[in-house]
Amino acid sequence: MKFLISRFNPETDSKPYMQAFEVEVTRGMMLRDALLDVKRQDESFAFRHSCGEGVCGSDGVNVNGVNKLACVTPVSELKEPVEVRPFPGRPIIRDLVVDMTQFYQQYKAVKPWLVREDPMPEQEILQSPEDRDKLDGLYECILCGCCSTSCPSFWWNPEKFHGPQALLTAWRFLADSRDQATDERLDELEGPYKLFRCHTIMNCVEVCPKGLNPTQAIGHIKNLMLKNAV
Amino acid sequence: MSRKASGLKAWAIQRLTAIYVGLFTLYLVAVLLFSAPEGYEAWKAWIGGPPVSVALLLFVVSVLMHAWIGVRDVLIDYVHPIAIRATLLGLIALSLIAMGLWAAQALILVRLA
Amino acid sequence: MALNKRRFDALIIGAGGAGLNAATQLANTDARVAVVSKVFPTRSHTVAAQGGVNAALANVLPDNWHWHMFDTVKGSDYLGDQDAIEFMCREAIPTVYELEHNGVPFSRLDNGKIYQRAFGGQSQDFGGAQAARTCAAADRTGHAILHTLYQQNVRARTHFFDEYFAIDLIKDDEGAILGALIMEIETGEPLLIEAKATVLATGGCGQVYRTTSNAHINTGDGNAMALRAGIPMMDMEFYQFHPTGIAGRGMLITEGVRGEGGYLVNKDGERFMERYAPNAKDLASRDVVSRAIVTEVKEGRGCGPDGDHVLLKVDHLGEEIVSKRLPGIRESGKIFAGVDAAQEPLPVFPTAHYIMGGIPTDPYGRVIVPEGTGEEIVPGLYAAGECACVSVHGANRLGGNSLLDILVFGRAAGLDVLENLKENKNHRPMNETSVEAAMSRLTRWDQTGDGISVRELRDEFRKTMEDHAGVFRTEEIMAEGVEKLKALRDKLPDVRLSDQSKVFNTARVEALELENLFDTGIAIAYSALMRKESRGAHSRPDYPDRNDAEWMKHSLYFREGDRMDYKPVRTKPLTVETFPPKERVY
Repeated sequence: MKFLISRFNPETDSKPYMQAFEVEVTRGMMLRDALLDVKRQDESFAFRHSCGEGVCGSDGVNVNGVNKLACVTPVSELKEPVEVRPFPGRPIIRDLVVDMTQFYQQYKAVKPWLVREDPMPEQEILQSPEDRDKLDGLYECILCGCCSTSCPSFWWNPEKFHGPQALLTAWRFLADSRDQATDERLDELEGPYKLFRCHTIMNCVEVCPKGLNPTQAIGHIKNLMLKNAV
Repeated sequence: MSRKASGLKAWAIQRLTAIYVGLFTLYLVAVLLFSAPEGYEAWKAWIGGPPVSVALLLFVVSVLMHAWIGVRDVLIDYVHPIAIRATLLGLIALSLIAMGLWAAQALILVRLA
Repeated sequence: MALNKRRFDALIIGAGGAGLNAATQLANTDARVAVVSKVFPTRSHTVAAQGGVNAALANVLPDNWHWHMFDTVKGSDYLGDQDAIEFMCREAIPTVYELEHNGVPFSRLDNGKIYQRAFGGQSQDFGGAQAARTCAAADRTGHAILHTLYQQNVRARTHFFDEYFAIDLIKDDEGAILGALIMEIETGEPLLIEAKATVLATGGCGQVYRTTSNAHINTGDGNAMALRAGIPMMDMEFYQFHPTGIAGRGMLITEGVRGEGGYLVNKDGERFMERYAPNAKDLASRDVVSRAIVTEVKEGRGCGPDGDHVLLKVDHLGEEIVSKRLPGIRESGKIFAGVDAAQEPLPVFPTAHYIMGGIPTDPYGRVIVPEGTGEEIVPGLYAAGECACVSVHGANRLGGNSLLDILVFGRAAGLDVLENLKENKNHRPMNETSVEAAMSRLTRWDQTGDGISVRELRDEFRKTMEDHAGVFRTEEIMAEGVEKLKALRDKLPDVRLSDQSKVFNTARVEALELENLFDTGIAIAYSALMRKESRGAHSRPDYPDRNDAEWMKHSLYFREGDRMDYKPVRTKPLTVETFPPKERVY
């Protein structure tokens, strides 16, 4: 199978270029396996990867124009030649490795931790199974970045728009019956940029390898804001 | 518009105006299809009637606000140099206001006539 | 070129559950803490833990920490230190509550309490009926915990060095640890971190084997750094093969699947665990189930065209239970085995999973080494998590006890570092000789010319480990393995990197990891060869029985001269009576 891989080494290249590799496909081969094969052919090829089972979120790449997690993408589903590029809109460090600093900053900016004003009970804070169910589809995010780096609004304003990942996380805490900082969280999200750059383009939903729906989460935040404002 | 209000309020206004513009457009289409006024005088009388003229004025204001928020969003997305963005926003605001005044003038003239 | 230096009170190497829980304790104080991780913290392999964390909360069935302690001692095949095990089982309860308070989205019972499921090796009343002790967030407990711990550190503004690779520990002539030399992966630049206390929390080393549930990053870095600093590795022969990895791929199917009612069948459709463990059946201890599967396959009762695996049946539980309690494994099964667990059984085979052994520590995370007839603490050095050996898992770890281990001892290490900092106000003087030695480990890879490639030697090494230090171990197989491994080790100096670039050179990182794999893997193979009995995960057909008279002792492997030493098991708990060794049946 033919792979076209984006290559860039800042020490020798002035701009990225595509390099062709031939990979022998085996049964059940994932894109990560193919990239590892490329690395066997050329040890100077760099990409991030670790767990190989879609939970660590290291190996997000752009494949034939769509952001995917390489380790859970069967090569049999891909159209040949397979074009593999780094995430769009992020500064390239080398080959498929991009600088995700702004993505992480946006995550940190939504105060992604549980805030509790009441004194802690001796045992667990009680939560009904129904309330716990509200976190399903939110807490499973693996911070791979597929969503935010496929979001045009994040491309245009990565320093000010939180992006789908961070907003999903924001809603994960707003939706948690144990969290007691709803007003502060909503106030923080006000203004034209942090939340309201989302134009429901829904690329994030298309690409999420965990099947999560950041657009819906963003909608929930807007509705809650509206409800609290009137 | 205060900085704090320009997120949620803008978003809410855009949706509210969209609903109104949509409903009023439906009403307009219905009128044109089923009971369109015949002749200039009939038109003037229809538009000059208080309910229609107020609704129409509201429609114009809604369209302009909707347009303002939409265009502002596009400029926030794509035009980052602050001087250029401010200039464009100013020009657009002026032209929207001008359109609004023109529409208001037309409505007043119809009422006076 | 001058070497860049940074000074901190404490340095934590590794940002998985152990490292982050240690950091959490320190981040809320005035101490200046650096956390160094070769990947962004939420990429650490804690993220992949599925089933849960054990604590005797008694939310579902009656339970108490003393029963938990009994099960852990028994599960360890009486090689675990009973003082450390008592400490862990008592601490488990407040530890889980603390996690919940910090935001972990545990699954819930109807009364709002944390959901607990049954796991292998758990009993009520010292070996009675099955207990339900494993607190779970669906089958993504590790993910939920790791993300929460990272979030707590973001809140506390912990200083992270993300994507920095630790090269080696720096030590002075008295053996005290002064910090570590690290390398920024993005630039390839070395950086010296001076610290009054250094915590090794680098996790596992499953990459020494060819088929493993472990991530690419689990290369035994901390173990190898400690070995090179002259510290022995304890009980390295005890490597756990998880019974249910996806056949041929190694990804894990949590024991929670069997806890929820899943069971194993061979090609005749026989529920074979009933023969090997009449009482506990599919929830027998992991070593027992792994050996049973390998035996079934070896004796020709394996499934599939090559008869090389067995099947894990879940489909009888019904769509609702599978999608509610086991959504992650259903997803993994679909992706990696092409099987929907709610409809069809999953093909499984044991996969290299967890090392019980590691850097010897006391229950406060302090690294201890033999000195004269006793032991002494290595000043300034701590270890916690899978890279450490307290020892709470002994010869075999129970499911749900590893998340517990990293949390309890990560926390204990963090708290002890705080105490330590109160007494040690100043940094010790730097030892330039040690820094140069560490630098030479880095500069060695600047050599160019013809040589063996990292990939070639790594492949050969991992295959040898799998063939000669795997599930079944005979003298002949292992002795041959150790010789082969030593021969491969002799080739290490001939390995060359063709890629000499600086920026994000992953080939250089893999070369450094290869050296770590060698140091750690040989410790495993050598310790295994020397232990002439079967105990827990260490199963020898030529010595089929446990031999408490001669072998109820911890092994210590020293890198220098591949030397072995032994020390007694600590059988005296902190407050309760000793659990004397008994035959281990399930």
